[in-house]
Amino acid sequence: MPWYLHLALRQLFPTGRRFPFFTVISALGVTLGVALLVIVMGVMGGFAYEIKHKIVDTEGDVQIRARGAIEDYAAVVRRVESVPGVAAATPYASDVVMIKFGDKPAYPMLRGVDLASVARVTPLGKYMLVGSLDDLDDDSIILSAQLAASIGASVGDTIEVYSPLIINKLSNDELFLPRQVKVVGILEIGHQQLDSSTVYGTLRLAQDLYGLGSTVHGIDVSLKPGVNEDDGAARINAVLPEDIRAFSWEDSFSDFLWVLNLERNMIFFLLLFIVIVAAFSVMSSLLISVVRKTREIGLLGALGGRPVHVAACFCAQGLMIGVLGTAAGLALGFTALHFRNDVVLWITRVTQRQEVMRRFYQFSELPSHISLQTVALIVVMTIVISTLAGLLPAWKAARLKPVEALRSE
Amino acid sequence: MSEPVLSARAIRKSYKSGDALLEVLRGVDLDVAPGESVSIRGESGSGKSTLLNLLAGLDAPDSGTVAWDGSPDTGARRRAAFLGMVFQSFYLVPELDACANVLLARRILGRADTSARARARELLGQVGLAERAHHLPSQLSGGERQRVALARSLMNNPRLIVADEPTGNLDERTGNAVVELLLGLCTSANTAVILVTHNAAHAAKTRRSLVLTAGVLGG
Repeated sequence: MPWYLHLALRQLFPTGRRFPFFTVISALGVTLGVALLVIVMGVMGGFAYEIKHKIVDTEGDVQIRARGAIEDYAAVVRRVESVPGVAAATPYASDVVMIKFGDKPAYPMLRGVDLASVARVTPLGKYMLVGSLDDLDDDSIILSAQLAASIGASVGDTIEVYSPLIINKLSNDELFLPRQVKVVGILEIGHQQLDSSTVYGTLRLAQDLYGLGSTVHGIDVSLKPGVNEDDGAARINAVLPEDIRAFSWEDSFSDFLWVLNLERNMIFFLLLFIVIVAAFSVMSSLLISVVRKTREIGLLGALGGRPVHVAACFCAQGLMIGVLGTAAGLALGFTALHFRNDVVLWITRVTQRQEVMRRFYQFSELPSHISLQTVALIVVMTIVISTLAGLLPAWKAARLKPVEALRSE
Repeated sequence: MSEPVLSARAIRKSYKSGDALLEVLRGVDLDVAPGESVSIRGESGSGKSTLLNLLAGLDAPDSGTVAWDGSPDTGARRRAAFLGMVFQSFYLVPELDACANVLLARRILGRADTSARARARELLGQVGLAERAHHLPSQLSGGERQRVALARSLMNNPRLIVADEPTGNLDERTGNAVVELLLGLCTSANTAVILVTHNAAHAAKTRRSLVLTAGVLGG
C-alpha cells in the first residue's frame, strides 16, 4: 500500500485507540445524509412503484382508445392479440354513473368489463374482499370498499344505478327508470381514489347504461413479461387504423408521472445539501488536522515525500470518511425502510390517525422501492462530494514547505 | 581524498527582517568525505540550522551550490534514498508505532517489503528498542523517541545523515548516549554525518569540528 494511503488509514484509525472519535464524528454527518436520502427516495420511489402497479393491475400495460367509441371491438382485440409481445386484450366501457342505496347517493365511475377476458389482463380477482368476479352478471355489480362503506351497502343489497343518458331522456320527455342491480362483491385495490369511487359491472351492463350498443370505450392490453410498454404500444399502433391509438401506461399518465419525477428530483437535490453540509464539516476537520499536523507534514517532505503524495494523504482521508459514512448511511437507511411500516403503524395507532393516513396518502401501508440506479447515484454523489471536501485541506498541506513546516510552533 | 559525499560551495543565504536584509551565510564551503563525521557549532541564531536545511536540500541558497555525490540533484525523491535526518524534536508520527515510524522512511521510498520490516526491527534492536517496537511515541520517553528517529534516519542506508541538535531536548546522560549511538552506527555503516550541536563535548566526538561564525565556517 502506498505510504500516503497507509498514513491516511492510520490517521483515521490510530493504532491502539479503540474509538476513532474524529473519524466517527466526521462520518456521522455523511451517514445521516445518506440514510435520509435512502429513506426519502425509497418511500417516494415506493409511491411511484405502487401507483404503477395499481394502474397496470386495473388498466393493463397499454390502453387503446379511439376518438369516439370503438366499433367491432372483437376484430380489434383479435388483431391486437396477434401482435408479438401482447399477452391478452380486453374491451371495456367506462363512465360516470349515479348510484343510490336507500337515501344515500354517490357518483362513481362504472367500469364495464368483459368477463371472458378481463382476468387475463387485469387481475381484479386478487383485490376481492368479499365475493368473486365469477358472481358478476348483467344485473349485478361489485363495489369498491370505501364506496360500499360510504353508502352503507354490502353484498346481497340491491342498489339503483342512474346513467348519464337520463338527461337526454328527460329532455325528450321520456320516462327513465334506474337500473336495479345487486351487489355481489366488494373489492379493495389499496388506492384511495379507486377504492372510494369505482364500481365494476359487466361490459353489457355498461353498454346498456351508456347506450353504446355493441361498441366499447377502449381496450386494455397486457404485455408478455419483459416487453417494454412503449415498444408494445408502438407495435400495436402499427396494426391499428389511424383513428384508434394505443398508449403505454406511462404515456397515458405522463403528466402525473412527470410531477412525481419532479418531486423526487427536487427532494433528492434538497436532501443532497445535507451531504454537502456534512462534507463542509469533514473539510473543516481535515483543515484543523492540517494545522495540527503541520510539523508532521514538514517531516514527510524532509523524508522525501512528494507534495502530491502529501495531498493524496488528506484527499484519501476525505474519501475514506465518505466511504465509511456512505456504508453506514446505507445500512441505517435500509434498516429504517425495512421497519418503516412498524414505525408508521405505531405512530398512527398512538395518534389514532390510521384513516387519515389512508385518505391522504392513498395507501394503507407506506410503500418502499428504491432502484439500483438511485442507490448508485447516492453512493457516487456522496463519495465524490466527500473526496472533494478533502481537496482544500490537501492543497494546503501540499503547499507547505518542509523547512517552514518543521519550524512552525 | 575520495569524491565527497557532500560538497557545498560559496553558499550565501539572507532573510528579510523588516526593511533590513539579514545575511546569515556569507559564502560557506564544505566537503564531507564518505563515512566522515563533522560537527558544526555556533551561537544561537548563527545560521546552523539554516545551513543544515540548505545542505539537506530543504531550502535553496541565494547563491552557491550544493552537490550530493557530485550531483546537484537534491530533490525530494533523491533525498529519500540519499539522506537521513534527525531533528531536535524527534518528529515521530504519533499515530504510528515505533516500528512503523522507522518503516515510514522506506515506505516513502516505495519499497516496504518483508525485508524492509526485518531491517526496521533490526535497527530498533541496534538502538536498544527491540522490545518497544509496537509502542506508540506517546508511550516512549524522550531518549527512546530520539533513538527511534535515529533508527528511521538509517532505514534507507543513506550516504549522509544530518542531525540538527539531536540532544537539545534530552538530559545530558541520555544526550551523550544518543550521540554515541549516532556516531557509532554511522561509523559501522560507513555513513557520513553532520552533527549540529551546542555541546562542545559532543562535537569533540566527531572527526572534524567546525564553528559557524558571522556566516562563515571555520575550523
